[in-house]
This record gives sequence, structure tokens and C-alpha cells, in this order.
Amino acid sequence: MTFTRATTIEEAVTAMAAGARPIAGGSDLVVGARQGKAPLPDVLVAIDRIDDLRGIETSGQGLRVGAGVTHAELIGNETVVSSYTAVADAAALVGSPATRNVGTIGGNVMNASPAMDTGAPLLVLDGHAVLKSVDGSRSVNMADLWTGPGRTSADPGELCVAIELPPQPERSGSAYVRLEYRRAMEIAVVGAAAAVTVSEDGTIETGRVALTAVGPAIIEVADASVLMSGRDAKEAGAAAETAASKSATPISDLRAGDDYRRHTVGVMARRAVKAAAARARGETIAVPVNRSAGVGAAS
Amino acid sequence: MPLVTEAERFIRSDGPDKVTGSGRYVADLSLTGMLTAKFLYAGVPHARITKLDVEPARQMSGVFAVITQDDVPERRFGSVADRTLFAQDVVRFEGEVIAAVAAIDDDSAQRAIDAIVFEYEELPPLTDLEEAIKDGALLVHENWESYAAGSVVRDGNVASFTSIERGDVDEGLADSDHVITSRYVADASHAAPIEPRGVVAQWEGDRVTIWSSTQVPFQARDGVCETLDLPSNRVRVVVPHLGGGFGGKCGFHYEAHVAALARAARRPVRLVFSREEEFLAPDRRREGMIVEITTGMTNDGDIKARKAKVLLDNGAYSADSSFFPHMAAMHAIGPYVIENVSAEASSIYTNHQPSGSVRAPTAPQGCWAVESHTDELAAAIGMDPVEFRKRNCVDTGRMSATGQVFDEIGLQQCLSDAVDGLGDISNLPEDESIGVGVGWWGSFPGASGAYVKIDSDGRGVIITGAQECGTGSVMTLPILVAKELGMDPDDFELVYQDTSAAPYDSGATGSQTILNNGRATVEAAQQVAAQLKDLAAKELEAAPEDIVLVDGRAHVAGSPEAAVDISRLARIASRGEMLLGRGSGTPAEYPSAVGVSCVGDQDLSWWVGPQFSCHAARIRLDRDTGVVRVLEVSTAHDSGVIINEVGAAGQVEGGVLMGIGQALTEGTVYSEDGGQLNPAFLDYKLQTIADAPRIKTSFVEVHTPGMGPHGSKPIAEAPNVATAAAISNAIAKLIGRPVRQLPMTAERVWAEARS
Repeated sequence: MTFTRATTIEEAVTAMAAGARPIAGGSDLVVGARQGKAPLPDVLVAIDRIDDLRGIETSGQGLRVGAGVTHAELIGNETVVSSYTAVADAAALVGSPATRNVGTIGGNVMNASPAMDTGAPLLVLDGHAVLKSVDGSRSVNMADLWTGPGRTSADPGELCVAIELPPQPERSGSAYVRLEYRRAMEIAVVGAAAAVTVSEDGTIETGRVALTAVGPAIIEVADASVLMSGRDAKEAGAAAETAASKSATPISDLRAGDDYRRHTVGVMARRAVKAAAARARGETIAVPVNRSAGVGAAS
Repeated sequence: MPLVTEAERFIRSDGPDKVTGSGRYVADLSLTGMLTAKFLYAGVPHARITKLDVEPARQMSGVFAVITQDDVPERRFGSVADRTLFAQDVVRFEGEVIAAVAAIDDDSAQRAIDAIVFEYEELPPLTDLEEAIKDGALLVHENWESYAAGSVVRDGNVASFTSIERGDVDEGLADSDHVITSRYVADASHAAPIEPRGVVAQWEGDRVTIWSSTQVPFQARDGVCETLDLPSNRVRVVVPHLGGGFGGKCGFHYEAHVAALARAARRPVRLVFSREEEFLAPDRRREGMIVEITTGMTNDGDIKARKAKVLLDNGAYSADSSFFPHMAAMHAIGPYVIENVSAEASSIYTNHQPSGSVRAPTAPQGCWAVESHTDELAAAIGMDPVEFRKRNCVDTGRMSATGQVFDEIGLQQCLSDAVDGLGDISNLPEDESIGVGVGWWGSFPGASGAYVKIDSDGRGVIITGAQECGTGSVMTLPILVAKELGMDPDDFELVYQDTSAAPYDSGATGSQTILNNGRATVEAAQQVAAQLKDLAAKELEAAPEDIVLVDGRAHVAGSPEAAVDISRLARIASRGEMLLGRGSGTPAEYPSAVGVSCVGDQDLSWWVGPQFSCHAARIRLDRDTGVVRVLEVSTAHDSGVIINEVGAAGQVEGGVLMGIGQALTEGTVYSEDGGQLNPAFLDYKLQTIADAPRIKTSFVEVHTPGMGPHGSKPIAEAPNVATAAAISNAIAKLIGRPVRQLPMTAERVWAEARS
């Protein structure tokens, strides 16, 4: 096995063009290898010391999150928490403090697990992955990026260097809620993210809903905006609940049966819409929603 | 009042090591030339071995030894002697060891494992308890009759059977106004200590030293002696720091495999389990259980009769599980006054991992079943469940269902204190409720020994067979000795967990450390105290019986001004008859059951030193998802006088958290053919500290003579009895009926609520 450490994106993509796999926190790659899911790749290029992958920047174009930004950094970023709150909700639920300190958003996105927590939030907030290779750069929206469990449309030589999110409109809010059986070291059984805009009277104008762990990849609820538009949060939540359960194609496994997943993903969608609408109306619901208003909220 | 209250707490001697990470565990040991051990496991639950050829592995470079059952003596062991160190002819569970390898490093060891030719013909796996006891069922052990089993009552796939009969249960049921039958099923679970087990063995001539992460070093030593045919004085078992045990590290595990490997390799060998191995291989799984209880009662809520039938999943071998049916029968009967009882319990061979003692074996599931059933009884006549228990539970002077009349006990007080501890529960939100469970647990008197010495500088050492896997012995033993000698607990260090240094102790098993080793240590300290008094009497020209030992000094009672320092006496003693005490003491006797007839009696129908507890839980239910969150658990325990309040409270808090896991999230899931599907912490869900509720603990300190020192009783396992029961009853209040399968996962709660 060879292991090199890149200090620039160019070094990293050059190594990748020659067949290397990138590694940042290693929280999927190393843990997976230890569990015998897949052996560690023969050639690894470490990307955790590349300055250009770090940092969260706000501009007129919105938010640019370096692929090497950790979950802990996302939770600590004011803009993420105030304007892209669903991402913070999700990042705050990942693993443990140790996982959140080493696991990166780029890793989470490119690992493409259907149970990834940041995926549904990025989808409803219209996130794009910026992919770079020796041949150039392109931007891919999340729906086109994830093609199946553990699979993306990125070429092996492409490195995710950043996630870009557009500016969020006035009177908008987002939230991510997941079903969890315990409050730390948990993986999503199901989850749902919602992003909505509300009119001055508080009814939903537009909205998107995406679902975690109920299909081969993160899936979006089709026509969520149409279903929710013009309704108050409660009605919109109910509509999202029904639509989410219908959209879900869950499997039965150790963590839950398909019926239970189909039901609870609806519940998560309803709660996410409700929390997103409240935030859009300017109410404060602390991050993560799971601890302040969702499943097993604090007493 | 506790002997040492929370306000008087002190830093435990192993604390800084463990907190700072500088403590050394088995996996941290490194010896010159040390090799890595790996096992080849069956990988299938039931098969006949058709070919086993280790020669290809033996020929590989970097491989020093490959051994199988052919390389060790032909010895069967276990509470029913039904197994050998390595599989022989037939494999009966997936984690059964086929062969062991010692190699220069992990990779070489793995390559050797892969090179072993292991061929087998699969046999149909037996996994269903009720199928296994049907006539004509396939036998897990075809030659079961040939195994040595002492007095264990067996028959085919029934590895151990017990019945308890008193009164006339059929008549009692016929005379009842209400007869209610319930059936409960508990999934298997695991002890899941954070440190996976490890063993290092090193031979010097014909003697072997084994460092093992065991809770029971003397039992481990005896297992090595038995299976490798060695005398006890040539086998030394040493335990470095233990990273938890919870019963999972009781018994004899792999010490002989590694010792045999080290002998064959002529090098020290180290085995360290992965988490997956820790789940799959050891014979220490908490047994799955099916409990059927029928109770008859009057309209007024007086229990007249109870019939119980319990099936336990023994797994493939009987490590220490032969007493489980008797224990389970006692829990199915429960701490109630019932004139007519009939309980039958069987531990059934299956092709699952063997069951073995995990903290309070059979109790959390048995108590969960009987206490959920008790709430069903109360509900049937519209009586408050706490009131129902107060009416029917045993009490001082009241006769239990097995005919035992208890001396002073505190169960009724526990009921009141635990419920009171929840505060005002009159106006709970609609998604919250409380549930209550009561439990009992016995004590296990037995032999134990200790030495106490004080050296010339006045500092002491306690040399003890006792263990520290969370028993608190590093605190309680110095407390007990210091109390006898008028010294400070910090004046004493422990030499412990070494079979060649200390006298016998049965280890961290059966909550017995204070009970037995406490007794031994106190006796040893009393001998030193007598020596000190003799010395002081000479110095002070007084009679030894007038001398008292206080605050590190000796003086005539009532005359503290003329005192002599114990350190000075120690200096005098070091030049002559040294300050050395040895203790063992006489264990309390087991009462013999009268008025109850037992088949397969294991001395459990009449508890000695019974501990009683009540746990009251306040929960919140997310009705949309079935997710239960435990908000508060208020506990009350009669464990006699408390020696060390901090340690005792720690036992209760840990027991509650373990109980919540068993109640809600911890369950082993099996495939149809008997393989574990979740041998990892992602899908075998322990509770985390983020899930911990508020825990309130009250000790009902009933002074109990003739048991542990100072009127104490044990407390290690008792807190792991009633938590799941309390949570179950709280859930049942919210959804209208109990969830009849343990763990009561969110999905099961949700499914029950909408059924």
C-alpha cells in the first residue's frame, strides 16, 4: 500500500488520475476496512491537509463549504446554523463528538450512503458538489450525483472540493429530523429534510422534501412544493407525510421493517416541514431539531 | 447510614490510571518474542466435520504453532461436561473454535487460518426452543447421556430442568375469581464489556503465567488445569486492569487455548478479540427466554395461585447455565406471597451461542415478565399496581411462595421510597407515564481468603483474591480494613488479581466480593488489630483488651492523651513477630428449603441474604414512532447496610443504564439458521451516556446479621433486575397493554400500539 499526503488540490487530483483514492477523516474508509466491508485501497492520497478544501465562505452566490470541513465545523458556523439550518441539524446528529471532529462533509457526500445525514438537507437546499480532476472542474447537483448505494456519478479521478449552496430567500427555513433509537452513535433508520418559504401570513409558498434511508439513495418527494403550497404548516406537514410515505421504497433489515420505515419517514417529513416552517416564520428551534422538538426530545 | 458516605468519598486507587489512559490492560502487554494468536471458527451453526487438515498452515513461514483438539488432552468441561476446548467431530454453534494459530504477526496468523483445510457437511440447525423439546426433535448432543453432570436433571435437548411445587396450584386457580395467563418472550442479549477479552501466556519451564481479562482468575486457572492436565501450582493467572465484565468475563475462556499455543510455539502468545469475536464466540450470552405465567386471584386482589413455565435458550453448551432454570423459576414466581405455586423451567440446547452468567442471569427478563404480568393482574381488577404489590409482596415475617419466612427485609419500604422518589406524578403530560417493578436476588456465600500486612513504616497491603471489574473492591476492602485498624483507607494498597499471590476467591461473580472477601479481609485485619493491641499494651503498660485503635494511633479507651502511633508499633513489629493477618471466615450457610418440593434443586428456592429492589421509571413515548425515552428512574434497594455509598450508587446507576438497554435497544438478532446478525455496536445498541435519565437512588438499610461485614448484603447484580420491568409497565400504561417481547424496540412498541 502507498500513502501520500497532498498539500494542494492539484497534487491530489494528479494522484487520483494515477489511481489513488482520496482519504480525509477516514471515518468511512478505515472503519469500513476494519469491519471487512472493503479492503483499504492500495494507493491512498490524504487530503486532510489541503488548505483549499477548508473553510466556509459566504458570498452573493451563496455558501461554499470546503469538502474538508468537518461536521463539528458546520455546527459551529453561524451562517450554516441560521440560513442552512437543516445541514446543521444533520451534522449535529452524526456519530459522536469524535466522529464529528474527523468526518467531513465531502466524505459524507461522496460516500453516498442512503443513510447519510447531510444528504437530504443538501438536496432540499439545492446543493451542488464541485468536482475537480486533472481535466477540469464541474458542478453536479445532488440528485444527479448519487446514483445508488455507495455510488456516485463522479469519475474515479474526480475529487469533490466543495459543496455550494445558493442564497436562501427571505422567509425561508429548513430542518432535518431523523428517527433514532438512541441519542448518540446512531445511524439514520429513516430521516427527512424540508426546506420551505412562507408567505407573510405564514402559509407555505414553496418547499422541498427529501428522505433518508428509504431508497437506494437520498430521494426527493416529487411535487412537494405543489402539495404544500398555500397551506399552513400543519396541513402542509400532513401532505408531506402522506407523500413521503408513498415515495419511500424502503427495505426491511435489522434496523427496521419496511412498513415501519414507510410510516416513520412520513412522520419525519411532517416534523421537518413543521420545523422548517417555524424557522421560516422566524421562530427559533435549536439545532438539532431531534433534541429540541423531535423524537425523544429533552424533557 | 453507610459506613463511608458520599461526603467521605476518596479517590479510588485505580482511578487515575483508568481516567488518564495510562492503565495497562491485557492488550497493552508486550513480551519479548511474543506471537499473535488467531482462531479458526466454525462459521456455521451446525455441521459435521468431514476434513480438518492443519498441515498446510504449519508449513507457512512466520507460523509457529497450529493446534486442534488432537493437540490437547481429551477432557470435557462445563457445568454439564458437554464440550472440549476445540470442536470434535460436530460443531454446534458458529463461534465454536476449530483450530488456533500462533504466528509472528496478524497477517501471518490470518494467512495460516486461511490455509487450514476445514470441510464439513452442514446439519440442520436447531434454533426454536419449542421445536427442540418436541418428541423426535433432532438432538444437539447425540451423546448427552454420557456427559458428567452432577445432580443436573437432563433429558435430550433439555440441558437442565427445575420444578418448584408448593400447595395445590390447580385448586388455587379453581378457587380464584380471576385467572390471567400471559406469555412473554425475551431475546438474547450480551454483556458487551468495552474491553474485548485478551489472553497472554508465557511458559517458563513447566510453569505457565497467563494474563487474562477474566473476572474469575481462580476459575480460569482451574479450567486450564482441568483441560491441560496441569497441577494448580504450575499455573498462575494474573489480571491486569479489566475494562468491564458484567458477567461476560466470568468462567474459563481461552486461557487454555493460548497456554497450549504458547507451549507448542515455545514463545509467549497473545490473543486479543475483535468486537465481532467478542459477540460471537464466548459462552456468555444472556439467555433468550419464553415465560408463560398463569395467576389466579380474588376480586380483592389477593393472589391465590401461580403456575409458570419457562424455557431458556441454553445454546450449544452448558458453560455455567445449569442453575439458570432454578433461578428463572424463582423470578417467574417473584417476591410474592402465594400459597399455591407450580413452576417448571428448562434450559434447552440449541445451535446458538452458549448462554452464561451475565449480570443477574435470568433476572432482568424473568422480572420483566412477572412484573409486566403483575400489572396485568392489577389492571384486571382496576387496582393501582403499587397498591397491588404492597398487598401481595413478601415482607418481614411473611411467607414467600416457596415457604420461606424472611427475617427483617425492606421490600415494602423500597416500594414506597422508589415511587416517592419520582416526586409529584399526579399531572403527567399525556405522552408520559410511570411504571414500577420489584425484584429480588440472592446472595452466594462461599470460600474466600485474604492477607493483611503492615510493613515497618506503618503502611499496609491487602493481598486478596478479590477482583476489580467494577466491583469497587479497591475501595471497599481498604475501607473495611481501615475500620478495623483505626487507620485511613489510603494507608492500604491492594495486591490483587493474581492466583499465585493471594488465597482463593471465587472472583467477580454472584455479587460476592464484599460478602465473602469482605468477611475474609475483616478477619485478617482483626488478627492484625489484635497484634497491634498486644504491642500497644506493652508500650502503654495496659491490658490489650483496653486498647482502642483510632486515627492511626493506639491508646487505652478513654485516655487518648497517652497514645502510641501505629507506625511506631509497626516498626517494633518489623523486628520480631511481624504484623500479618490471614482471613477466610466461615461462609453463611444456605437455608434448606422446607415445605417446597423441587426437582433439579440448585439451592435457590430459599434465598440466603436476599436483596430486594423497586425501580420506578418515568418515560415519554413518541406515539408516532414508538420511540421510548426514559426520563427518570427512581430506585430503592434493600442491600443491607451500605459499606461505600459512592460505590453502591455507582452499581445502581450502571444497573439502571444496562436495564434500559435491555428494555429498549439491546437484543441479539438471529438469522433463521442460527447466526447472529448484529454482532457489532452499530446494530447491537447499547445505551450511551446521552441517553441516561436522571437516576435517584435510595438505600433501605436493613441491618442484616450473618451476611456481609457490618450487616451488609451484596449490591452488584440487584440493580440489574427491575429496570426493564418498570419501563414495560410504563409503556403498557400508555398503549393499553404490555409489549410482550424484549427488547421493547420502537418498532415493537409502535406495532403493539396500533394492533
